[in-house]
Amino acid sequence: MTSDHISSLRNPSSIKTRFAHRFVLALKKLSMDRASSSVSMADRYKRYRKVRAAAYASMASSVGPKRAWARALLRKIRNRKMGSNLMKRLGSRTGLLKKRTVLKPRNHREMGSEQENSLRELVPGGEGMEFYRLLNETGHYIKCLRAQVKVMKNIIDLYSN
Amino acid sequence: MERQVEETQLQFRSGIRGSNSQQLGFGFLQAHDVISTKTPQETGGRSFTALLELPPPQAVELLVNEDFQAKTPPHIFHCNTALINRASKFSVFATAGSSPEGNYVVSGSCSMMPDVVKQEPPDFDSHLNSSMPAASNHSPKSLKRKEKVKEKKVNELDIKSKKVAPNDISVGSGDKLPYIYVRARRGQATDSHSLAERARREKIDARMKQLQELVPGCNKISGTAMVLDEIINHVQALQRQVEFLSMRLAAVNPRSDINHYAFLAEESEPAVDNNYQSMFTASMWPEGQISGSRQQYQQLWHFEGLQQPIWGRVEDKSKFITTENSLLSFDFSSNSGTGKLK
Repeated sequence: MTSDHISSLRNPSSIKTRFAHRFVLALKKLSMDRASSSVSMADRYKRYRKVRAAAYASMASSVGPKRAWARALLRKIRNRKMGSNLMKRLGSRTGLLKKRTVLKPRNHREMGSEQENSLRELVPGGEGMEFYRLLNETGHYIKCLRAQVKVMKNIIDLYSN
Repeated sequence: MERQVEETQLQFRSGIRGSNSQQLGFGFLQAHDVISTKTPQETGGRSFTALLELPPPQAVELLVNEDFQAKTPPHIFHCNTALINRASKFSVFATAGSSPEGNYVVSGSCSMMPDVVKQEPPDFDSHLNSSMPAASNHSPKSLKRKEKVKEKKVNELDIKSKKVAPNDISVGSGDKLPYIYVRARRGQATDSHSLAERARREKIDARMKQLQELVPGCNKISGTAMVLDEIINHVQALQRQVEFLSMRLAAVNPRSDINHYAFLAEESEPAVDNNYQSMFTASMWPEGQISGSRQQYQQLWHFEGLQQPIWGRVEDKSKFITTENSLLSFDFSSNSGTGKLK
C-alpha cells in the first residue's frame, strides 16, 4: 500500500517529489518543536526564518551535490545556523568566528559587467565561478526555484484546507 | 581567355577533389596567371578569387549582387574549398611582387594547409557562410550577415595587403619560409588568443540562448545585457516568491492531524501546475487566485488513514527528529534517483 503511492506518481524521483518529501518532513519537525500559537512578531519572524531555511535546505539537498549552487546554499545555511548557535552561547566573543568567508579564487574576481555581478550575488555560490559556469548554474537554479514555488503553493493549499 | 578560365576552373576542382597539395599549387599558379590578366567584366562571377584584385568598393558591389552564381556544386564544399580560397587570396596579394616570389608564397601557402585544416572544423559553418558568397541560395538573413562581413573584409583587405608586402620580401630572399602564416575567418584577428576567446564567446552565446528559452518573455529581447537583466529579474522574483510562501507557511499553523504523506499524491498533479503557471507571470500574485484550484485537492484527500512512512530511507522513528540535520546533507538512497532535474 505504501509503495503504491510512489509507483503511482508520474515521476517518483523527480526534483519535485524529493523536495516535497524533505520539506514536508522538515515542516512537521518544525511544527512539533514550536509552541502551538505564538502571536508575537519576533516569534513569527523566527518561525518564518526557519521555514525559509528549511525550504532552501530541502531543495538543495534534494538536488544533490553535483550542482555547485546546491552545495553553496547548504554551506551558507549551515554557517548561518552554526554561527547563530555560537552567538547564542558564547555571546560577543563569537563575532569574529561567526562569519566563515569563502575564499574566492582570484581569477574570477575581476570586474565583470554589472549584470554579471548582480547575477553572481543572486545565485548561491556564484562568486567563485566563471561566467559560462555561472550561466549553467543559473539555468538549473531557475528550474529548481520554479519547482520549489509550485510545491510550496500546493503545500500551503493543502494545509489551509 | 575563356578557355583559360575553364582550365582554371578545372584545376580548382581537381585540386579540391584530389586534395593534393602539389596539384593545388599548380592550380593556383595557373589561376594566378589568369587573374593578373583578367578584367572585372570578364569574371562574370566565374572566379571568386578575381574579385580580390578589384578595388574594394567594386568587390563589395559584385558580391552584394545576387546574380553571382555558384559554379561549384555544393557537395564539393569541403574544408578544402575554404582553404583554397584563403590560399588563393594569399596568392593574389603576392602578385604585387614578381611571379617567382608568387611561387614561393604559394608553396608556402600549400605547406601551411595542415595547420589551417586543424583550425577549420570548429568554425567551419559560419566561415563557409561568410567566405563563400558565391552560393546563390542565401536567405535574406545570411545576406545581411554577408554584407556586414564584407564591410569588415574591405577594411581587412587594405590592412592585409599592407601586411603581406613585407612578407613577400622576406620570403623571396631565402628558400625557407620565415613563419607559418595562418589565416582566420574574414574580418577577424588571427592570434590564438582571439580564437580561443571567440570559441568561448560562442559557447556563452549558446548558453544565453538556452536561458532565453527558459525565462519567459526573453525571446523578443535582443542583446546580452537585456537578457541578463530579465534573467536577474526572474531570479529575484522567484526568490521573493519563496520568501513570501514561507512566510505564509509559517503563519498557517499546520494541524497535527494532517497526514503529511498525502502530499506525495498532490505533487503528481500536472493540472494544478498548469493553473499556477498561467498565474505566474507577475512577481507577486494576489491570494484570491489560489483558491480557485482548491477543490481539486479534496478528492485526493483519502489518504488520511496512512500511518506508515512511504520512503525507503526513513526506516526508524528517530530519523524524523533529525530531519533538519539530514536536510543539511545530501543523503542519497534509491529514491533519490539521479541528480538531474526532471
